[in-house]
Formats: sequence, structure tokens, C-alpha cells
Amino acid sequence: MTGWLPENTELGLRRQWAAEMGGPGAVAKHHARGSLTIRERIGHVLDRGSFKEIGRLTGEGEYRASGVAHVIPAPYVMGLGKVNGRPVAIGGEDYTIRGGTSWRGDRRKGGQGGFIEDMALQYSIPLINLIDGAGGSVASIRKRGHAVFPGVDGFERSVELMSHVPVISAVMGVAAGGPAGRALLSHWSVMVRGGSQVFAAGPPVVERSLGLTLTREELGGAKIAVDTAGTIDNVADSEADALEMIRRFLGYFPTNVWGLPPEYPITDPIDRIEADLASIVPADRRKPYDMRRVVRGIFDLDSLFEIQPSFGRGVLTILARLGGKSVGVVANNPKVYGGAMDARAARKQARFIELCDTFHIPIIFLVDLPGFLVGPGAEEAGTLRDGMRAVYVAMQATVPMVTLVIRKCYGMAGMGACDKNGLNFKIGWPTAEIGNLPVEGGVMAAFRREIEAAPDPRQRENEIEQELRQLTSPYRMAEAFAIEEIIDPVETRPYLYDVLEAARVGMPAKLGRKPRYGVRP
Amino acid sequence: MSVHEVVSEIAGTVWEVRVNPGDQVESGDELLILESMKMEIPVLAEDAGVVEAVLVEKGSSVAEGQVVVSVRT
Repeated sequence: MTGWLPENTELGLRRQWAAEMGGPGAVAKHHARGSLTIRERIGHVLDRGSFKEIGRLTGEGEYRASGVAHVIPAPYVMGLGKVNGRPVAIGGEDYTIRGGTSWRGDRRKGGQGGFIEDMALQYSIPLINLIDGAGGSVASIRKRGHAVFPGVDGFERSVELMSHVPVISAVMGVAAGGPAGRALLSHWSVMVRGGSQVFAAGPPVVERSLGLTLTREELGGAKIAVDTAGTIDNVADSEADALEMIRRFLGYFPTNVWGLPPEYPITDPIDRIEADLASIVPADRRKPYDMRRVVRGIFDLDSLFEIQPSFGRGVLTILARLGGKSVGVVANNPKVYGGAMDARAARKQARFIELCDTFHIPIIFLVDLPGFLVGPGAEEAGTLRDGMRAVYVAMQATVPMVTLVIRKCYGMAGMGACDKNGLNFKIGWPTAEIGNLPVEGGVMAAFRREIEAAPDPRQRENEIEQELRQLTSPYRMAEAFAIEEIIDPVETRPYLYDVLEAARVGMPAKLGRKPRYGVRP
Repeated sequence: MSVHEVVSEIAGTVWEVRVNPGDQVESGDELLILESMKMEIPVLAEDAGVVEAVLVEKGSSVAEGQVVVSVRT
């Protein structure tokens, strides 16, 4: 590392201080907690040997008459690197130096408005935030001699990035305040079970504000942040798993919105016939089934990456590949409320559709949707507003979308599972049952006079229900071209592959940022 | 040995109780069937163990997040 010139010797020395981070003691303590250092984390994410550090010499120098004695590195490490051969910008707080709190150089390295954000934007490359910091501190007031207005280091760049390049946030330790906000300003986020927590403010502030004593884990562990609130998308069992997931996630995405997603060789035959698909949907329409099995039967083996698996479980949102090409799968889960859309499922679906639309990833809807969730709990939770937002987002999306009705497809929620703004291409399995309203329950409302006038009203209601049910056969709809095609379930994989191959032909002309106008409900 | 409380992730009505206290269950076994949104939706055991208590009966209303069965694992 060191050359023969004194200048080079000093460079080598300064690089060594940077590599030491907070010093052997602080690093050992960090390791003892089961945590990786920021340099190890970056090493896990990037292709081997691809890290080109930027700002390695930043820090606070101590000087003697003879020259520099030591430099405490700035608590943020960043630079360029590669993931599967493609350039990325990556950075994160160094917890071994003052707990990763902010450092003031002439220019911010990381965090909101930092160099790494500028670089991702100017170079149009993905940004990976490895978050492990408590954010701002009131100590800065003393340092500056005055209070600062919120947003002195603002989110404007973080927001702009969201329509340009993939942004990934991994919460590796505690994220409160600004770093927590940055975790949310991402296309995908991950945290570590038991090892990371995220909240607007931590336990001391909560105790002072509300008199509640809670641990960090109780306040913002994965159980709250991932499973309950959906604040963070996914949880990993270890730091290494979380960092590996970042590599996998990026594999579905183009480097920026001006490119198409990467394509991989076909390893799973397109004409693979999954006989299982023909019998997955039970004949008894009251019985649920495993929608994940349907997804596995259609898309490439080992290509599934489920986003938010534990939140809004009535819908599954899965990144997958079909013939080596990225697709976004939105599939209703009949095991939760029969697949009905509740407020959380709607929020999850709307965000996933925007994600896929932004990065030109075609969407396949696998529909088994009885409608919006009903009942007082659902109304109190604002299901209509969140549900209509999901419908609105689907109607603004311009990426190719194909609707495959597996079983039920009803009502306004069903409309949100269609490419109404585009070709509106809808196919179904023979098990499909479709309608503007479900027949049962709707019969009395629509035919009350006729039913009440009958000698046996109960029998008349049943008769009308039977008559209507026969008319809702998907084959009758196909005759009327109300649904464009009915396919045998075992044909699904090759059928969708060919449709998507054709749908992709026009996509290169539609690349770039997606403007979204208006006010979402 | 610990007692695992199985919660229902949905609201609904108990359609059928499939286990009794003392029954041995395996992970994935159906403990109850709930009726919700016109569907029969099973509540499954998450871990193997012995049913300690069934806290609802046929026809009971169940709220989202309610503990319905406890299993000693």
C-alpha cells in the first residue's frame, strides 16, 4: 500500500486509520453484539473486490508539531461498487465511531443530501443505504450556536431518487429520526430480526413524552415494524441474510428507469407442465387453497422473492421471473379473508404496483378476489379509501399488466386487478367466477318485489340465485368476449410467457420517468 | 415446555372446532375452521404440541388477533 515517497507513506498511514474504524476495542464490542462492521457489510453486498471507496480520508485529525498523529474517521463509509457486475452507490454509518452520529465536514458524505445520494442521482445508478445511526443530536445546537430548521439536511434528493433509480435501505441497527425517514424513502427495505429496530423516536423520547417504558424491540422491532405496521418490507434472520437479499432484490431491476430489467438465460423450461395446477382450486368454492403453490407452478423455479410476506397477508406481492425475465406477481390469498382486500393488503398492493410500473416490470394478477373486506372493522380501518387508492394506482399504471382469474373476481377491487388503462387483457381458468357483485346476498336486493310476491319467497330466492349462477359461467363470458380467453391451468406458464414476450416489444419506447398526476384517494 | 397462544389472523365466526384439550397436534394441523367472507378458513397449529385449551366454541365470533387455542409445545 505504501510507496517510497513521504507523501505516500502518509497516505498509507491515513488509509490504515480509516480501516481501523473506531479502533480495535470498539470493533470488538460491535462484533460481540453479533453485528458486522460497516466495512464488512459493504463487503457482503458487493461483488468481491469491487469496492472503490470515496471519502476514505475524512475525519477529525489530531496534530503535533511533527505532523499528523491520528485521524478519527468520519462515521460514514461509502463508495462505488458492483452487484452482479452492475455499478451501484453504497454507504452506511459506522456505529463503532460515536454510534454513527453525524459528522460535519465541508460536504456531507452520506445520509439525506449527502454525496452518495448526489452520486446515485448524477450517475443514474442504484443507491444502497446501510442504516445504523441515531440521526441528529441536540449537541449540534451547541456546536452551531443556534437551532436548525427541520430539513437543513433535507429529503429533497432522497425523494427525487425514488423516480430515477432503485433505492434500497437496510436497517442494520437502530434507526430513529432522519435515518428512519430514509429507510422509508426507498423502493425496498429490510431489517434484521432481533438486531435492528426502527421508530420515529426511541424509548427515552417515548418515556419522556408519554410516560411509557418500552424496550427498543417492543417499540420498533420486526414484529411491529414489519409484521404489524408494514413500515419496513422484509425481515432477515441475520445481517448476512439481509445483505444477501439486497443482491437478490436488485437482480430484478434495471439500473435506472431509462433501462429495461436484466434478462437471464432460461433455466426452467417454458413448457414445464405442472399437473398440480389443474387440481389446486377445490371444487367447493367455500374452501381455500395455497395460492403460493399456484405461483410456484407458473413462474421460474427458485425465482420468487416475496415482498412484505407478513403484512397485509390477504394479497401476495412477489417478484419473480418467467423465462428469465422479471415479472411482478400480485396474487390474492384465499386463506386470509377469502382473499378480500383489506386496508393493509390495499396499501401493499398499491405500492407494489407503483414499484413495478416505475421500473418497467410487467405485472401478472392472479385473481381470487371476493371484493373489499366488509364489516364494521373494515369500515373503521378505512378499507374504502386504501382500496380505492389501490384501484386508482392500477389505473394510472402504464406497464403491461395481464389479469388471470383463478377463481373469484368481483366488484371494485376486481377492477383494480386489471389493466384498464391499457389493453385490459383478461384470461381465466375454468374455475373462474366473475361479476360486478357476488350473486348471493345480491339477489334479495335486486329482486325483492319478485321474491316477496312469490308463494314461497325463500324458494324463489334460491331459484333466482341458481339461474344467475348458471349465467355467470366463465364460458358464457368467453362467448360474449367479456373475458378474452379461458385457458387450461396447465397451459398457464407457456401462455403467459408468450403474451409477455409480445407485450415487451413496445416497452423500449416507453422508458423513462413515470409522471403520476392528480390526487390519489 | 411453553404454551403457545394461537391467534386468528382474521375476524369471523367459528364454523367448526377440530380439536379438544389433550389432543396431540402437528405443525400445520387444522385447529378450527372459521367462516369469514363466505369461506371456510382454517386456523392452523404453528408448532407441534398438545392442545391445552380451546377458547372459543362453534358459533363464537372471533376478532382479528384474538387468541383461540393454546398449545403446550
